[in-house]
This record gives sequence, C-alpha cells and structure tokens, in this order.
Amino acid sequence: MSSLRPIDRVLSEDSASSAVIDELLRQGRKGVAARLCHVRRPDAAVGITRSPLGPLLVAVGPAGILMISYLRGRDAADEVAALRLKFDPVEDRRAAEEVGDQIRRFLAGDREALSYRADLTLVAGKFQRRLLDRLRQVPFGAVVTYRALGDAIGAPDSQRAVGNAMGANPIPIYVPCHRVVRSDGMIGHYAGGTQVKVKLLRAEGFAVDNNRRLPQQVVWGHLGTRIFCRPHCAAARRADTARLLIFADPQSARHAGMRPCKLCRPC
Amino acid sequence: MGNRSLRLPAPFEEAIRPYERELMRFVLRMSGNRDDALELFQETCLRAYQAYPRLTCVDAIRAWLYRIATNLCRNHARDARRRTRVIADAGANHREPTADEIGAGQDVEAMAKLIAALPHKQREALTMRKLVGLNYREIGAALGCSVESARANVSLAIKKLRADWSKL
Repeated sequence: MSSLRPIDRVLSEDSASSAVIDELLRQGRKGVAARLCHVRRPDAAVGITRSPLGPLLVAVGPAGILMISYLRGRDAADEVAALRLKFDPVEDRRAAEEVGDQIRRFLAGDREALSYRADLTLVAGKFQRRLLDRLRQVPFGAVVTYRALGDAIGAPDSQRAVGNAMGANPIPIYVPCHRVVRSDGMIGHYAGGTQVKVKLLRAEGFAVDNNRRLPQQVVWGHLGTRIFCRPHCAAARRADTARLLIFADPQSARHAGMRPCKLCRPC
Repeated sequence: MGNRSLRLPAPFEEAIRPYERELMRFVLRMSGNRDDALELFQETCLRAYQAYPRLTCVDAIRAWLYRIATNLCRNHARDARRRTRVIADAGANHREPTADEIGAGQDVEAMAKLIAALPHKQREALTMRKLVGLNYREIGAALGCSVESARANVSLAIKKLRADWSKL
C-alpha cells in the first residue's frame, strides 16, 4: 500500500504556515474585538449575599438592580442563565453586599433604604411589565390585592395571572411583590416562601398574625381622592377598588400624602 | 439544597482563547484562502459570542465552536459555488490552498488537491481529526452526527485518499 505521508504534511502545521497562522490570528483578534464592540452585552455585577431572608443571588447592571433571587433549594447557575441572555455576568461581591445591607436596613423599618433603581430589562412580557410598573406605585406600609392590581392595569378578573406574574418578578423586595395580598385578608403565597412575606410585611408595619392574616386595624386609602377610611366606611365601600390601597395604619397613609375621611374619622 | 457558590461561566474571550489558534488553522484549511479564513474566523467568534449564553454545557465548547465554524465554512463554500456559477470564473473566489501556503512541495500540493476533492463531510471530519486532533466524540458533536459516523467519515476519507494517491 502506498505511503500517505504527504497527508500529515498537508494536515499539519509546519514553521512556514505557523507564521501565517500567527499573523492571521493577530489580525483576527483585532477584527473580532472591533466587531464585538457593536454587539457586546453590558456587564452585570453578580454576587451572593446573606440576609435575614436567606441567601440571595443579586445582579446589578449599569441602569440599576436587575435581579434578586431567593436561593431556596435552587442552583445559582440556573438563576444566572436568564441574566446571561442580556448581560455578561461578572462576579462582584461588593454590589451584592451593598444590596444585602440595604435589605437589612429595610427590614429594620428604614423606608428609604432601598436606594437602587429597579431595572426591568429582564421582564419579558408586556402584561408583567405593566403590573410591575403599577406595583412600584404602591408605597411602603401599603398593600394591594391581586384583584385590584389586575383591575388597575385594565385586566379585570385576572387575579391568578397577576399571582403568576408576581411569582416571576425578577426583582422582589425592590419591586414590592410582597405588597400584593389576597382579597380575603390572607397574605397569599410568595416566591421566597410565605415566612419571608410575613417578615417583609411585618417590617412595613402590618402585624400579620400566625395564621398569615392581615390585621383588622388597617385603613383603606383611595389613590384618586387621596382620602383614607376605615374598611367599613360607606365612602370606602363605594370607591373604585382598582385605586384602593390597604395601609397598615393611619400614619402610613398620612406618609403617602393622604388625609383622613371626615365621615368615619379613622384617626 | 441549592448550590451556594456562583460558578459563573468564564468570560467569552477567556473561554475561547485556548481554541483560537486551532480554529484559525481549521478555517484556513477549509476555506483555502487567507482572506476568507480571516472573515470566517471573525464571523465564527462573533456568532459564538452571541450564542454563548445558550451554551449550557461549557465542557462541550470545543466541539460547539467547531460546529459553528463548520456551518459557516459550508455556507461560505455554497455561496462561493453560486458566485462562481454566476460569473463563470471558476476558482476566482474559492481556490485551493497553494503549496506556498501549506509550505511544501509538489506531492503535498497533489495531496492537498485530493483532500479538497473529498466529500465535504469526510473532508471536515478528516481535517478535524488530523489537523486539529479532535476525538471522535467531539467530531460527532461538531458535525451533528454519531461517534460511529464520525469515525466512518475519517476512515472513508483515508481509504479514498489511499486509493487516489496510488493512482497518481
């Protein structure tokens, strides 16, 4: 059988072609760097922080906080996968620690603690984006029902879809999905676990009992009239539910710029 | 319980750096032309960057890069054939590697021609095996075929080359 030695010479790199490859590689890397500039994804600082709510995976991008994920039985790598489609993750514990620190102060009752801007880039659906945008208007010390939140964005009877959208919220705490509760007075479920929701609501002044029920001493505030009432006030019961907020106490309602009702005199 | 460590995938440039050189050799061999090789290399890197977040198994990055490069080389060869047909100028856009580029004499040039005349899948498999040194599992992943098929393609290529070489 004839020798096939030339095949090894053809399919091998000798000194002459090595120089060619080196030169091509130099030009190639330069070209790749220039072309990548136009398509490069922005960097996102990613880290894990310990908090009173458990370990949290945090991602912060150039325009604000992108993701907080409760690592309850979840793998951090899986959580980062969605982020990687739009950002290049870079490990940075300082950003995560800063977020962890803000959350600790928030849980201690500091209503101004969450200073990072929420960046909703990772929110895929329009419905969810509208809900989360609306939810950001719910102030510290107030909650809204799933039904009312759906009504508020013009999607009546969508309470289950609202629940799913809250479960998929990429930035819990900063976009306060813990402030959405059931219409029957129960606090409902939460992506980080019901106990975490209880902690967050208690930090905002709601004395949630062991049955995970909101207290009776709440007041209802109307976003249109800027008036807050007792729940059984005739004026409150006539009000448009889509614009009703439930405040933990009259002080929280006053802090949100509302005045007490002159009929039921809640304070 | 979930894993508390981040285990972020390596940044793209870092991840492909060990394979850049062999990738350049591969596209140069497949295109047979320095300008085309440069363009194919850049396009491969660019597409790989865009698809990098969807690469779930980072261990398979080598075969994955070759798959991108192979597809681009095939597209390039197809486009070159079309152009050649239109302008009726065979070899204007797709020429075989010259002896100078390969750095050898006549027999090597003759072998290069024989390799270029192989069916494209056999040529790709042979180049990956002999030039780059990929294993059959990686060749299978890069060509989208089974390990057995990859092995058969390399074997058939060598068999055909032996037969053609003995005729020369």
